[in-house]
Amino acid sequence: MACLHDHSCEEHDCSSDWSLYKHIDLSKVSALNEAVSGSVKSVFRAWEHRLNSSEGHLESNEGDPELIVFIPFTSDVKIKSISVVGGADGTSPAKMRAFINREGIDFSDAQNMQPLQEWDLMENLQGDLEYQTRYSKFQSVGNITLHFSDNLGGDTTQIHYIGLKGEATQLKRDVVATIVYELMPNPSDHKTRSETGGGLSQVE
Amino acid sequence: MRNGDYSPNRFQAQADAVNLICGAKTQSNPENTVGVLTMAGKGVRVLVTPTSDLGKILACMHAAPEQTPGACAPLSLGARLSKTPRLGGYEARGPAPCLEIGGEMNLAAGIQVAQLALKHRQNKKQQQRIIVFAGSPVKYDKKVLELIGRKLKKNSVALDIVSFGEEDEEKNEKLEALLAAVNNNDSSHIVHVPSGPSALSDVLISTAIFTGDGEGGSGFAAAAAASGFEFGVDPNLDPELALALRVSMEEERARQEAAAKKAAEEASKQEKGEQQSTSQDATMTENVNPGTSEPEKKTHDLTDDENALLQQALAMSMDDSSSTVAVRDTDMSDASADDHDLQLDRFILPHQLPVDLFMVVEALCCLLENQTLYEHRSRLAIPLQLSVQESAAEQSNQTDVNKLLADQSFVSSILTSLPGVDPNDPHVKDLLASMQSQSEQSKEEDKTPKEEENKSSILYTVLRGVQAGGACNGI
Repeated sequence: MACLHDHSCEEHDCSSDWSLYKHIDLSKVSALNEAVSGSVKSVFRAWEHRLNSSEGHLESNEGDPELIVFIPFTSDVKIKSISVVGGADGTSPAKMRAFINREGIDFSDAQNMQPLQEWDLMENLQGDLEYQTRYSKFQSVGNITLHFSDNLGGDTTQIHYIGLKGEATQLKRDVVATIVYELMPNPSDHKTRSETGGGLSQVE
Repeated sequence: MRNGDYSPNRFQAQADAVNLICGAKTQSNPENTVGVLTMAGKGVRVLVTPTSDLGKILACMHAAPEQTPGACAPLSLGARLSKTPRLGGYEARGPAPCLEIGGEMNLAAGIQVAQLALKHRQNKKQQQRIIVFAGSPVKYDKKVLELIGRKLKKNSVALDIVSFGEEDEEKNEKLEALLAAVNNNDSSHIVHVPSGPSALSDVLISTAIFTGDGEGGSGFAAAAAASGFEFGVDPNLDPELALALRVSMEEERARQEAAAKKAAEEASKQEKGEQQSTSQDATMTENVNPGTSEPEKKTHDLTDDENALLQQALAMSMDDSSSTVAVRDTDMSDASADDHDLQLDRFILPHQLPVDLFMVVEALCCLLENQTLYEHRSRLAIPLQLSVQESAAEQSNQTDVNKLLADQSFVSSILTSLPGVDPNDPHVKDLLASMQSQSEQSKEEDKTPKEEENKSSILYTVLRGVQAGGACNGI
């Protein structure tokens, strides 16, 4: 599915569409089976720099083409389409499977679970190809996990760029994080103002 | 695993090392969780699911190993951990099972079960790490181990291997291959611990397994190894305990010296050289100086030879085995002698202060501190109690008590050095007079129970007297 614009994609119009990278929580991006730990963060860039992988790219370990990329967002997003730029000589990924809003997916989970959507990828060295999603299913995405299960015959899998197109809502998925549940109240934890010696204590 | 090539035996050394590592991990980050599983015996078994509660882990490790009939090759322990940030706690359920020695170590299955348990951790943000204690031969092929290693690496699980036990080239090769397969960016380590005098735990403290995690691990390890204080008790935190321990050590030392002197006299008839005290403490190295055994007033400056005896008395009071005492020896050999932070520092006790008088003095002290004797006592450690009981059992002390109590000058010297007591106070003078008469009375009667009664009545009188005296002085 090529770009549906009637002009060439080098123009700046397209870049504003591919701006979901700004909403990615880069510090929490992680990948499994990457050769260089932390290299996954370098694949998220602006559209116009999609072919510029001077800062490094994501590569899987020798002899093992599988990769899992976990992408959390700073707020809920709607994803319209995904673009992936792979490496040359068969190192581009061939299959992509997506799971949303699940944390801690590893290879055994990914292989056993039914993905939300699956795509067969083609070599996309120029970054022209984008793969559309079933938009209704990708409406409130807090995080997305991409599992690249196979490549085009190479020893390793290389990914130079991952682009996400869509809209960001301002909503945040609220995670109940630091709540302590009490079975029984502990008076020392609930000092009133009178006990701590300040303020007016209210008697109702 | 029952071999003695690691002291006291391999299994115990391993258990100590596991406890140490678990403690270090749980302390280095409050959200760390640690679990334990065993690899041999009837099969791979998870003893503790990952928890941040160190108590559960220690309870499980403490369970005594039982002998299974016809047991052959040793047992190995695999410990698995999760690390860094975690929310909430995860409680292990059920009673702690016993640790049995027996069967063969199943390394591959152990690692795989550990990986599975880590996968189901509650907080997915935690990093995963497995620590393997391999004390037995490895029966798997190198290829199988490499495959497992690659799978761990792929799922970003780090692996630390502690290899001990028999020196085995093949085993080393296999473990090195496993490490090479797992290692990603130096996050995994291997340590070979040869058998020898130093404990497994001590060797581990200095390795990357502890220090590789960063700040927290090394801090805990340093604290665990040698606190640098005498007796491992910080006088700033618990001055009464430190004082009590010190005094009981001195008493014990005095007793030892008296015994040593007697033995030396006998021995000098047969051979030159001094005999040391009890055979139980054969591991202690002591340079007893008999010249210092006079009952004169001393300050709290302790030299190195005194340290040895102090530890001896401490060990005896704590009913420890001689091997652990030896460990404490090495740890405290460079402990500083001066300890002027004690509250009761200027309170000077003669060396041969018998126990009952010490109790009297103690009562005075706590009165002055406005505590009840019970409160004061309850803050003192068991060592003091035990040492009190032990030395109180000696007949020679009992007659001394009365003599000393009767010695008015002695008692008054004690009282003067107590803060807040004025010897010229009429109440205190009355008290001393009454004590003297009572002790004269007790001398006539020879029965022990009566003596005890009198002593306790003396104690009571002193208490009342000082209390009255204290009230007068506006304490």
